[in-house]
Amino acid sequence: MQVAVIYYITTLMHQFREEGEQVILNTDGTKPIYLQIADWIENEILNGDLAEDKKVYSQYKLADMYNINPATAAKGLTKLAEEGILYDRRGIGKFVSSEAIKIIKDKRKNHTLKSMVEDLVQEAERLDMSETELILLIKETKSRNKGGEE
Amino acid sequence: MKIIECRQLTKAYRGFNALDQLSCTIEENKLVGLVGRNGAGKTTLMKILSGMLKGTSGEVKVFSHRPFNSLLVSANSIFIDDQMNFPTALSLAEILEESSRFYEHWNEELAWHLFDYFGFHKKEHHKNLSKGKESTFNMIVGLAARCPLTIFDEPTTGMDAAVRKDFYRILLKDYLAYPRTILLSTHHLEEVEDQLEEVLLLDRGKKVLHMSIEELRELAIGLKGKREILAPFLADRNPIYTEVFGMGDEYIVTRNNFSQKEKQEMKREGIQFSGVSASDLCIYLTTSESQKRRTLDDILN
Repeated sequence: MQVAVIYYITTLMHQFREEGEQVILNTDGTKPIYLQIADWIENEILNGDLAEDKKVYSQYKLADMYNINPATAAKGLTKLAEEGILYDRRGIGKFVSSEAIKIIKDKRKNHTLKSMVEDLVQEAERLDMSETELILLIKETKSRNKGGEE
Repeated sequence: MKIIECRQLTKAYRGFNALDQLSCTIEENKLVGLVGRNGAGKTTLMKILSGMLKGTSGEVKVFSHRPFNSLLVSANSIFIDDQMNFPTALSLAEILEESSRFYEHWNEELAWHLFDYFGFHKKEHHKNLSKGKESTFNMIVGLAARCPLTIFDEPTTGMDAAVRKDFYRILLKDYLAYPRTILLSTHHLEEVEDQLEEVLLLDRGKKVLHMSIEELRELAIGLKGKREILAPFLADRNPIYTEVFGMGDEYIVTRNNFSQKEKQEMKREGIQFSGVSASDLCIYLTTSESQKRRTLDDILN
């Protein structure tokens, strides 16, 4: 017990001196924090840091990492569980589901990307840009990115 | 479990009600921010909850007991403000030593580590501390006491920005390590909102809203655009806040309950959307009618 308290104090002192591994959130953006947490976990899954059936950080760990209320962190986790990206093992925590990557990719294609394209098309219309011009721009950007990778 | 229950709680002073038929409940182990303009009734509510004041009418229960003159409430709660009455004969170190005998869950290590971290000296006296240092010391007592109900009335008064940041971090860390019900009043919601679970907003003794911080952040939406383009979308709405700027441009804050279709239409019309921060919204919601009618510019010109 004593050891645990001292350990806790030491980590506490360490963290607020160094800001440890605390992650800085985008607080002026319009994106709710629980969605930022959900996005961050999704990215961890997409880039392979959180593999299938691996346990995800608890709401308390996330609260500590992001310096937010644990209820906010829980809301992000619950959202991912509702979407089938995580699954619940009662009393143990939340784990990455086998469908996670597929669900995330589908979701981002159908929602995030779609609304970005809507914005893109709208702005192009405002600028009187033709469809051909727009497609050319996309092609150019794609090939430029490919060039950068090599 | 409900830790705090108020029903129709009223506190009357000569000529006005500091609390006016206030009803609210606060559940166990929540970290709640109490906000409102000067004179909204925050301190009065906190003092009633900690048993230092008696309500005029209505009902108030803390741990299912009436807090006034209750030993149970007194033993299980702590009220921290900038008028702490510590015995003047005691040094800071002696205050901490005595406090440890007062509070059942007092955490010695936390108290002394924070004492050192913030650079206090054992032989200093409370009355000689600067405003910011005094608040910092009171905060240490409030946290180390680890009372099941911890009440902070504007705990960061006088603290510099770095200490305030430290305080919110320590508050959250210690709350995670040792969950308890914490009620904290502040005029700087934006500084502490990430750490809070709920917000209770008071205005002239009445409850304006009580909801989770996430709901509050999504409650309103800001719309920016030409007045005549905005108008049709706002037909049967009562905007929370209106600001005119530039040439016929308006910034309108209203409830965020437009349908997806309406939003797409507005977007096509070139209306810009923005989120409304919890702290801005609380200010808009508590602007009095007289302030709405006359802007500061009218008075100063």
